[in-house]
Amino acid sequence: MVKEILKIKKLTKYYGKTLGVKDLTLALKEGEIFGFIGPNGAGKSTTIRSIMNLINKTSGQVFFQDEELTKDAINLKRQIGYLPSEVNLYEDLTVKKMLDYHASFYPNTSQERCKYLVDLFQLPENKKIEDLSFGNLKKLGIILAFMTEAKLLILDEPTNGLDPIMQQRFYELLKAEKAKKTTIFYSTHILSEIAKICDRVGIIKDGQLIKVETIEELKSKNLLFVTVSSPDIEKIANEFQLTNQIENQTVRFQTKLDSNTIIKRLSKYQIDKILINEPTLEDLFFHYYK
Amino acid sequence: MLKRELKINFKTFAIWTSILLGIFLVVFLLYPSIVSDQNIEMLNEMIKIFPEEMLKAFNMDISSIDTAFGWLKTEGFVFILLITGCYAGILGSNILLKEENDQTIEYLNGLPVSRTEILLKKYLAGLIYVLSLIGITIIFNYACLLLSGDFNQKQYFLLSLTPIFSSIVIYSLCFFLATFTHKTKKMLGISLGIVFVSYVFQIFSSISESTEFLKYFSIFTLSDIRYVIENISINYINILLSIILSIILLSASLVRYKHKELI
Repeated sequence: MVKEILKIKKLTKYYGKTLGVKDLTLALKEGEIFGFIGPNGAGKSTTIRSIMNLINKTSGQVFFQDEELTKDAINLKRQIGYLPSEVNLYEDLTVKKMLDYHASFYPNTSQERCKYLVDLFQLPENKKIEDLSFGNLKKLGIILAFMTEAKLLILDEPTNGLDPIMQQRFYELLKAEKAKKTTIFYSTHILSEIAKICDRVGIIKDGQLIKVETIEELKSKNLLFVTVSSPDIEKIANEFQLTNQIENQTVRFQTKLDSNTIIKRLSKYQIDKILINEPTLEDLFFHYYK
Repeated sequence: MLKRELKINFKTFAIWTSILLGIFLVVFLLYPSIVSDQNIEMLNEMIKIFPEEMLKAFNMDISSIDTAFGWLKTEGFVFILLITGCYAGILGSNILLKEENDQTIEYLNGLPVSRTEILLKKYLAGLIYVLSLIGITIIFNYACLLLSGDFNQKQYFLLSLTPIFSSIVIYSLCFFLATFTHKTKKMLGISLGIVFVSYVFQIFSSISESTEFLKYFSIFTLSDIRYVIENISINYINILLSIILSIILLSASLVRYKHKELI
């Protein structure tokens, strides 16, 4: 049985009377990349900041390797690599000094690992942090999170600011980490990333985790997307009881009917074009967000 | 972490030290020309027209300004109290909040360090600088006084220690108050307010009996210069009070900081 490495139990966070996250329960398995998606304000950052104890939980607990992850759990924190969505570091330091400073908190950090990452992301070591571009700052944040060989990586919008070449290198780095059984909590709003790299995905909406499934499970839902163009489009809309917007005698709708039934019901009408396809991750995301 | 704290706060420390030593350097350089026999007579005449309460407020009723040491006992230590108090207040406000202000707190919090360690190391770094500012001033003024002529060395050293008590309490109080906010600007005003209100209270408390109670609301009461001049000893209650207050404020800061939302 695969070990559950991070467990979040009934996490609730209110900012005064405003809800941040409610009753969020989630378990991450060892070695998986868990995608955490939701639009801005859904509660992604609140969840991450609660895990990292930057903010106080209203209620609930977070366990890492079966031990409660509290503010002062230093031994647990040593095994976590964290990349915040906005990387803010000590601007007076050079990249090299920042890396050395970071390494000083992790006795087992190897120079080779650090050098490998710096070379991989082509980061100028002698530049001062205040002179780094947004992209280079992000790269430095990634290196800091990955250099300590953490067992758990918490990454908040990691590719934001990276160019496509660096993004590709980053995905390869993720694969290498996964091969080492590192567990990765990957928060993003870029759905294509989730499909590309994640094993499972959690969808958060209005502070509540509404779905946790594997990518395959999500895609294999009995949900089809149909695009029809027809001069009888109004009748077709009535046939399928659609409220969708009709544009240029074309309508796109989702249905749980199978392909045969759809075709049979459409055969009564004159059809110019018809496209029946499985939902993309975007389609599923919007399906849950309706 | 302590090394880094000392490094990033060094520039401010150097500026404040330069200001304080600069003031005293100018005074020590100019004083010999001011205290000629003729000028002293004029000064003494001038002092006679000041109200007794005012002389008392600056310890001029128990000390003469006809020597550099005399000036130090009257106005000099007021400068030291105010400048070290301001420095302690600003440092106490800033040292914790800087991480939140620069948004580096998210990085710091992610490191394998406890909040207690973060707080204690920052407190210690600030304390080292507050004590260093006072220590350097003691050494500098001592050297200048040696060049200026005879003075009561025991009284000088006892007087020089008095700013430590108020400065440490101001530093600890501002450090504690900083755990309630995220904004450095807000705390800057509060810390300077504490210093100046304390000083005004102390002045008023020495002016008349009806306002004497104000001394209980002034942190500068802990640095009782008048007591040292009159008794050539430090009031040990003040030492004890300073230590107790600082420990209470530091402990309260620890409790507060452990529960603080850092973002």
